[in-house]
Amino acid sequence: MFKYYITRFAMLIPKLMVISIIVFIGIQMIPGDPVTRTISPEVYAHLSPVQLNELRQELGLNDSMVVQYLRWLSGLLRGDFGYSLVTGGKISGIIASRLPATFELAFVSLIFATILGLLFGFISAIKKNTIIDYTNTVLGMIGISVPPFFFGLLAILLFSIYLRWFPTGGRMGYGHVTFFARLKYLVLPAFILGISLIATLMKFTRGSMLDVLSKEYIKVARSKGLSEIKVNLKHGFRNALIPIMVVLVMRIPMLVGGTVIIETVFNYPGMGSLMVSSISGSDMPVVMIGTFIMTSSVLLASFFVDVFAAIIDPRIRFGTDAGGGNGK
Amino acid sequence: MNEEIILKVENLQTKFRVGKRIVHAVNDVSFELKKGTMLGIVGESGCGKSVTAHSIMKLLPKNGSITGGKVKYYDNNGKAHILNEYDRNSKELRTIRGKEISMIFQDPLASLDPVYTIGSQISENLREHENISKKEAFDRVVSMLFELGFSNPEERYYDYPHNFSGGMKQRVMIAIAMICNPNILIADEPTTALDVTIQAQILTLMSKMQKTHGTSTILITHNMGIVAETCDEVAVIYMGRIVEFGNLEQIFNTPMHPYTKALLKSVPVLSSGGEKRLEYIPGATPDGSEVIKGCAFADRCKHTMEICRTKQPVESIVDGSHRVLCWLYDKGGKNA
Ligand SMILES: Nc1ncnc2c1ncn2[C@@H]1O[C@H](COP(=O)(O)OP(=O)(O)O)[C@@H](O)[C@H]1O
Ligand SMILES: [Mg+2]
Repeated sequence: MFKYYITRFAMLIPKLMVISIIVFIGIQMIPGDPVTRTISPEVYAHLSPVQLNELRQELGLNDSMVVQYLRWLSGLLRGDFGYSLVTGGKISGIIASRLPATFELAFVSLIFATILGLLFGFISAIKKNTIIDYTNTVLGMIGISVPPFFFGLLAILLFSIYLRWFPTGGRMGYGHVTFFARLKYLVLPAFILGISLIATLMKFTRGSMLDVLSKEYIKVARSKGLSEIKVNLKHGFRNALIPIMVVLVMRIPMLVGGTVIIETVFNYPGMGSLMVSSISGSDMPVVMIGTFIMTSSVLLASFFVDVFAAIIDPRIRFGTDAGGGNGK
Repeated sequence: MNEEIILKVENLQTKFRVGKRIVHAVNDVSFELKKGTMLGIVGESGCGKSVTAHSIMKLLPKNGSITGGKVKYYDNNGKAHILNEYDRNSKELRTIRGKEISMIFQDPLASLDPVYTIGSQISENLREHENISKKEAFDRVVSMLFELGFSNPEERYYDYPHNFSGGMKQRVMIAIAMICNPNILIADEPTTALDVTIQAQILTLMSKMQKTHGTSTILITHNMGIVAETCDEVAVIYMGRIVEFGNLEQIFNTPMHPYTKALLKSVPVLSSGGEKRLEYIPGATPDGSEVIKGCAFADRCKHTMEICRTKQPVESIVDGSHRVLCWLYDKGGKNA
């Protein structure tokens, strides 16, 4: 069982390597003097061409690509991401101010959407072909097909401008340092970001539940005299969850990608809005590092979902070979 | 032999709704199960055996319902429960299911929940019905597994179903069904999905359990050979009707219904492996969605008379408990 988690974790490393190589190549292709990306622009402006050349030598910019890549990678691992072309600030500093915001948004949205999606799907399945089920299905279709920025604008109009329940955007007011104080800034963007995930999960949960409920072991559970709630939850839902985990893993990148739009709509100071402003300001180093960080988080999140999937499915934990008593 | 009746099924009728079509799966099934005996229900596949079993426990899918007849169960205090009148998930029915009447299903490979250990699936039944500690439940499950031939039951308790072979899974199913020491066990083709060698082993085990625990048992099968080896009484079912009912000697020595005779000619021999093909019965089994005016077997019968095609046969008592549903034996003449 432990071995499974270790292997899964080890599999992250080659994936991260590939992404880092792509990002490195991307950075190399940025036009302009690469020296500007390793020292602050103020220092750069005061250097003579000779000094610059010495610096280039010193910084290893004349070394082979492989050496440069390895050096860049080790810097990356130590949190040295280079400098922004636009503000001249350290990228690590910029990221440090933005990443927690996006993490908060994506995490809250993920949890929230997962709970709602599973709940609605479950209800739809056990109330199959009733008005509740049909309503869920129609709402789900709308949730999947309408673009999130539209929902975002609609929500701002209704809940922020008209009803005044929530702020129109931003992340925190003065002194709002605790999570709960920030929560009112989070509700709308997190919900809007999660809508398509809710709809997708609902659809898959319904299908997966119906599939499981037609299984023979459900009839066996009923034949034991268990209540419907126990049958549906303990035997139905628990088994239905396994394929849904796969869907969840596949949807996490879309959720993280969705932050780009949602953060822009809600003027939320996270990685997504940073990416948008960096792209429009041609701040390529920031774009590259931002991409790297977001991709890595997606990989890491998928790893955790895999771990969870193994916890709920003994066949994954113990390997799928049937027969033979290779117990624990 | 004890003559006390524990389960009585009277004119049971079960239908399914498939889109706009109605499937008449069980048309008229009546039989009684005597305490401590084993009753075989035999018939070709598709004739309504499983539906009969599911109807008794009200485990029918949502599109199926009992539209007529009665299922009477007499509990230990002699109280009669009309099972078909209980709501499908009512408390009354749930206290009987698993505890007093339990069931073994056709497909052991699909009958166990893949995400729970086999031990917890057995003790789940026990702990649902008896107020006992985890430890006591564990001990009961372990001794049941031992009785069913698992050599290291304490370890097996923690195994998951995917580690088990078909025969082992079916033994676990027997454990689930027997753990509460039920009054009635309904086994729906418990060996059909298993290898021939394992079949004999499971049947022997079931007979042994039935004798040591005194469980009244209904054994559903399409195999007359199995009936001959294990049952006390036999109900022959065709197109959702019991066409002949009698004890083992009556059915095997003096079969009356042409269908029973045909079934008997196809007795597969268990030990030699493989089944002989059923003696060719001409014609196909009719589809349950059309209502047949006369005898459902008329098109395939060698002795078809005019009346067979126009009127549903009435039951004739041959002798004592032996009864048959066929115009050939209608002593009273035109009594339909
Ligand atoms: N869920 C269902 N929906 C519709 N028809 C069904 C359903 N279950 C069984 N039937 C029909 O009922 C008839 C009897 O089936 P069954 O009792 O399973 O036969 P068997 O004797 O092989 O166990 C068959 O014609 C079958 O098609
Ligand atoms: Mg069947």
